[in-house]
Amino acid sequence: MKINTILYVEDNPLDVELTMEAFKEKKVANKVVVANDGVEALEYLRLEGRFKDRKPGNPGFILLDLKMPRMDGLEFLAIIKKEAEFKRIPVIMLTSSREEKDLIRGYDLGVNAYVVKPVDFLALTEVVKQIEAFWAITNEVPWE
Amino acid sequence: MNNKSNNHTKTTTTTRINESELMHLKNNVERLVQQRASEHAIANKELAFQNEEKDKRAAELAVANKELAFQNEEKDKRAAELAVANKELAFQNEEKDKRAAELAVANRELAFQNEEKDKRAAELAVANKELAFQNEEKDKRAAELAIANKELTFQNEEKDKRAAELAAANEELVIKKEKIKEFYDQMENNIMERTAQLEYANRELEAVSYSISHDLKAPLRHITGYNSLLEKKYKNLLPEEGCQYIENISSATKNMGTLIDGLLHFSKINKIGMKKNLINMNEIVETLIWPIKDRDIKNRVEFTITSMPLAYGDLEMMKSIWSNLIENAVKFTRKKDLAKIIIGATEDKDTVTYHIKDNGAGFDMDYASKLFTMFQRLHSQGDFEGTGMGLAIVQRLIERHGGKIWAEGKAGEGASFYFSLQRKKGA
Repeated sequence: MKINTILYVEDNPLDVELTMEAFKEKKVANKVVVANDGVEALEYLRLEGRFKDRKPGNPGFILLDLKMPRMDGLEFLAIIKKEAEFKRIPVIMLTSSREEKDLIRGYDLGVNAYVVKPVDFLALTEVVKQIEAFWAITNEVPWE
Repeated sequence: MNNKSNNHTKTTTTTRINESELMHLKNNVERLVQQRASEHAIANKELAFQNEEKDKRAAELAVANKELAFQNEEKDKRAAELAVANKELAFQNEEKDKRAAELAVANRELAFQNEEKDKRAAELAVANKELAFQNEEKDKRAAELAIANKELTFQNEEKDKRAAELAAANEELVIKKEKIKEFYDQMENNIMERTAQLEYANRELEAVSYSISHDLKAPLRHITGYNSLLEKKYKNLLPEEGCQYIENISSATKNMGTLIDGLLHFSKINKIGMKKNLINMNEIVETLIWPIKDRDIKNRVEFTITSMPLAYGDLEMMKSIWSNLIENAVKFTRKKDLAKIIIGATEDKDTVTYHIKDNGAGFDMDYASKLFTMFQRLHSQGDFEGTGMGLAIVQRLIERHGGKIWAEGKAGEGASFYFSLQRKKGA
């Protein structure tokens, strides 16, 4: 079984810590890389900045928060969907509510799924489990 | 023959007669001869006279013949003339017949024209009467007009006076109008300014509700998250009181989450588009109470639902209205051994009033006006949980349908909620 790296793009350290706890809680085996905003996430994909020495290869999927400084989620999405090398990486959007207008724009830009950030930690662990089950194991990105 | 034989017999007898007799016979014969001679003379004379007469007559006849011949000639002439005249007459008869035929045609034409003339005459008679009537009317009008003219003349004079007055007033008015226009423009500017301000305020409000739903949710998420982690990882290190605190934080944050969701929902009610249809209220109510009955194993809650008229409105909104009202009724009758909830409707010409009545905790009518205010609660959180948003949302939804909601109640004896909706026109 191929275990992919998860690129988690999130600026809020508390969200990062809680989500990482949830991954730990559900014993998700994937390596999770955190980028603090769109700029860092691009640097990761392009092996630039603090990621210039990382092992090459695309992540299995990207967990993408929307509201971030410097470059927000939708801007980041618009850029990678235009780059042949990255456009097939599945992207899961993290939103605060189901009725956000950003949600529609996200789908217009080619998002694969969205997750409403649960207020409850237990619910968060369940969501993480589901993400892992579907995106980290089942889903295989087609090869060129 | 008999005469002859008698004469013969006489002769034979005469022969035996004597001489005396003979002498007598001879005298007789002589007298007879003399008689005969005189008679002859007379007859001759007579004959001569007759001859003369006959000649006279012959002469007369000759004259008459001549006369007759002349007359015959004349007659022939006349006959010839008559033949000519006859031909002429025949020709004239033909001509006469032709003329007669022409005359017959002409007569018919004349008869037709006469009829037409009669009709016209009748029409003219009617028209004449009409004209006479109109003339009368005209005369009346003329008389009236004469009066009206006088009146008009008077009025014209008056009008001229007034016109002069008006001209003066107009000048005054023009000045006033300018002032009004200035004022009006100012008003319009003010309204536009206010509208712009209101639109801005609305956008602000939307931004605030957006911010509430998102920016408040993030810290809330962190509080609950860390509270859960705390509980999971370090509960065994805390005294019992500390564990209670963790639980209190958990229930408070849960409550806050519900409030935020409700507020977000409430702020959106005015923006959601309505799809109006005829709605079966009984169907909605039955669907909503079904899970309640399902959970109510002990049959503590008794629903009485009567048939309700169709409503005209948005299905999802109607569901939300009934859901809130039914949940309320169930919640506030929770402490009753037998909860009675009655759902039904009354109708009049223009509106239908739906109601839901319960025998629950009820409320003090003094506070009835606060029932539908956002976050306003008439019962303590300890008695009946809740966010104080349900009825505020229901009121907004009903107002969006152009309806009204009100409540009646008595503390400890139950509450009745009524809402009225306009009937669909033509339904």
